[in-house]
Amino acid sequence: MDWKRLDSARESSGPIEVDLIEAYAQGRINRRNFVKRGTIIGLSVPFMGAIIAACGDDDDSSGDTAAPGTETAGTEAPAGTEAPAGSDAPASSGGVIVVANQQGDANSGLDPVNMLDLGTYNVVSQSFEYLVGVGDDGNIADTGLASEWAPNDDATVWTFTLRENATWADGSPVTSADVAATLDRLAEANNAALGGVIDVGSTDSSDPTKAVVTLLQANGNFPVLVSIFNAQSLITPVDYSSGTTLDERPEGSGAWVLDSWDAATFTAKFVRNANWWGGETPLDGIEIRGFADIGTQVTAMQSREVDAIQQFPVIGGEGLLNDANFVVLTPPSANHRQVWFNTQQGQFTDKLVRQAIAWTLDRQQMVDTLWAGRAEIGNDHPVLSSLPFFDDSAVEQRTPDPEMAKQLLADAGVDSITAVCETGDLQEIPQLAAIIQQNAAAAGINLTVNTQSNSTFYGAAWCPGPNDSDESLPCDNAAEFGIVDYGHRPVPDVYFSSALRTGGPWNSSNFANAEFDQLLLDYQGSIDVDSQKAAVSQMQSLLWDEVPACYPYFYNFLGGHDASVTGVKATSLGHTILSGASKS
Amino acid sequence: MLRFALRRLALALITLVILIFVIFLLTRVFPSDPARQLAGPFAPQERVDELNEQFGLDDPLWQQFGRLLVDVLTLDFGESFSQPGEQVVDLVRPALWKSTQLVLFALVMTIPISIAGGVIAARKKDTLLDRGIVTLGLASASIPEFVSGVLIQYVLGVRLGWFPAIATPPDDAGFLTTLDYLFLPALAIVTVYFGYIARITRAGTITALDSDYSRTAFMKGMTTTAVVRKHVLRNSLQPTVAVTGTQIGYLFGGLVGLEIVFNYPGLGRLIFRAATAPDFPLLQAGVITVAVIFMLCTLGADLLIAWMNPRARLNLGGQ
Repeated sequence: MDWKRLDSARESSGPIEVDLIEAYAQGRINRRNFVKRGTIIGLSVPFMGAIIAACGDDDDSSGDTAAPGTETAGTEAPAGTEAPAGSDAPASSGGVIVVANQQGDANSGLDPVNMLDLGTYNVVSQSFEYLVGVGDDGNIADTGLASEWAPNDDATVWTFTLRENATWADGSPVTSADVAATLDRLAEANNAALGGVIDVGSTDSSDPTKAVVTLLQANGNFPVLVSIFNAQSLITPVDYSSGTTLDERPEGSGAWVLDSWDAATFTAKFVRNANWWGGETPLDGIEIRGFADIGTQVTAMQSREVDAIQQFPVIGGEGLLNDANFVVLTPPSANHRQVWFNTQQGQFTDKLVRQAIAWTLDRQQMVDTLWAGRAEIGNDHPVLSSLPFFDDSAVEQRTPDPEMAKQLLADAGVDSITAVCETGDLQEIPQLAAIIQQNAAAAGINLTVNTQSNSTFYGAAWCPGPNDSDESLPCDNAAEFGIVDYGHRPVPDVYFSSALRTGGPWNSSNFANAEFDQLLLDYQGSIDVDSQKAAVSQMQSLLWDEVPACYPYFYNFLGGHDASVTGVKATSLGHTILSGASKS
Repeated sequence: MLRFALRRLALALITLVILIFVIFLLTRVFPSDPARQLAGPFAPQERVDELNEQFGLDDPLWQQFGRLLVDVLTLDFGESFSQPGEQVVDLVRPALWKSTQLVLFALVMTIPISIAGGVIAARKKDTLLDRGIVTLGLASASIPEFVSGVLIQYVLGVRLGWFPAIATPPDDAGFLTTLDYLFLPALAIVTVYFGYIARITRAGTITALDSDYSRTAFMKGMTTTAVVRKHVLRNSLQPTVAVTGTQIGYLFGGLVGLEIVFNYPGLGRLIFRAATAPDFPLLQAGVITVAVIFMLCTLGADLLIAWMNPRARLNLGGQ
């Protein structure tokens, strides 16, 4: 241990940074999580490298398990090669890449503020950019509009320095006024990640090169909330009005400019943005092509009708996994399915009934059947085990126990339950519903599955809107029971604040628990790892007990491309980053 | 012939109005509630009532039907429920054009092959060739087109790479390139309809070959080929024409599975999406479009039969 070097680093750092350095030096977090957390709070790579060197080589053995999907090449036997989050080295320039993409929600359109599905995320994010981007390791990095960022001493104010040469497609500069206007729009729309974190007017744009954001309360993870992992936080021009769609106003600061858009087939074509700050893209253009059916997407990739595929399932994707000329991308993934209960209306208002369902679920069966093992079993909270603040001793792992379920129903005074499980026709979700139906039947619970088009499911069953007489629960009219998809976030803030906090915009459970809300504030305000862990541990316990939703698994995100294509990056939120891609 | 055609057209229009009424009733009487679907299961009734008023769903049925008739005449079905801001006509038109391309290509492939197969089977009746054609036709017709489509797609598209596996030609695709992309789904249609049309043609040809006029022609010294061409086909193909006419309508609206397998944005997929939304204006427009195609195709088939067989004009009410 090089104490002199460490002391020097401490002296030049604020309290947040010092806490992180101490946690790493004392072995409370491993190197991977030190780098992850350090990136979030704005530590530079050379600085982190110096700390790591000062502490000597660590052994990554502090007990954290790897997040699903972070395995690097070499851990898998199949013929297809695997890369973590991206593939390297440009081949040659020119040409167009076609990406097979999930067909997006027809109702929301290409609206950067209100979009909700991975298909739309991938289209809109080709033209617009985030304040904070993603690195090759799948974590946030300074690849967005902000070249650096830093907190004040108590993480209540964050300063983002914008790239000097970032411009809109028409050549006008991207300034802090654009950032301020965007964050105001997101605050007004009660954005899932930023609701309760910022308010309208939180951003000071007096210096056009710096966006200074004053938070409603301390938040040690704020850069994540304005990163690519808050899909709706794309930076749009200062005069962009909410509800405007990309096809109505195809202006962005990103590498690509929208050239044509066909809503019926969900197909977007882009050409190179000559004014992009990142320079000339190797490719001349890209095409994001929508497919209604995942099987057809896989077929298109197998037959090389497309060059890349946004996402594919394990079951049905064997042909790609075993294809020697297909490169599998496995970005870090906290993707999961949330099996929600409406806790305010319907048959699941009693937590004993919700617990009964939870105790019937055979999660291992789900992982084996639906993901061929490429998933991690969940335990009815959205905290991935690889996160530094995950507490594996907080609650016991639920295993299928139909007798326990029957007893819980009896305790609730319920003879039988007959309910409908609402799902969209997205990937394996209908099959998951079928397994849940089968599992629940063992405890005498009768479930039927209603699967509808994913483009209508969100508005019809998941979160149709609030009760007009009470706007405090935005999803008050959600179906009493259903399954929805959640994309990857590197920290669970969105899962907590949008899906479980009282009044959260995605809270289809209508979970309204004051203790949980307070713990969430405690967690968000925590700037050191130990405080975060203390709060999260209690949240894990509370959610496990109250069961506003079941979380059966976290699955690996699989995307990929033909071997003739290189330089493609992917996130588990469905982004396919093609600014550095090329095709031979 | 003209009077016959006009009578058939008048009958077709009356049938169309009845069809539109039936479609209207099905969407209004069948247990579905688009306003409730849009508002959500726990929405207050006031919200549902608001949506009903907005979409005119709480007006008297006769008023709604009248509006629909006006929509049909003016070809203006308003805005889509599930894609706000999009005119229904602007959604149906491209889907119709896509389906037309596929159906025409499939028919150009299917009809000559099927008729030829039926005639050959009839001429070689009770031989191995006849049995083979009949059996093959029966087997292929038994497999739904989306199942044969998946097989054809995998073998010819993915494994052998002879044709594009997905029916999405580039925007600037020329005529031949478009055909290249449509070949596999069209082939799937051929496998189903070959057996159907070939067997009907075979039966009609056998009957015609056994008739007195054919016997007379043979006794006059005409070759079999000449007899078939000059006397048999005109009579034997009448059932084939009648059946093909009705099947064309199905091809336009019924290929949902095939369109999904090949990612083809045709009318079938559009109607399916409208039915599951539910999107009444889009559903009505899509189904009425298919109904009109049905009417036109059966009318065309009747006229063709009347031209082929003057006696049919009398039987069908002509001069």
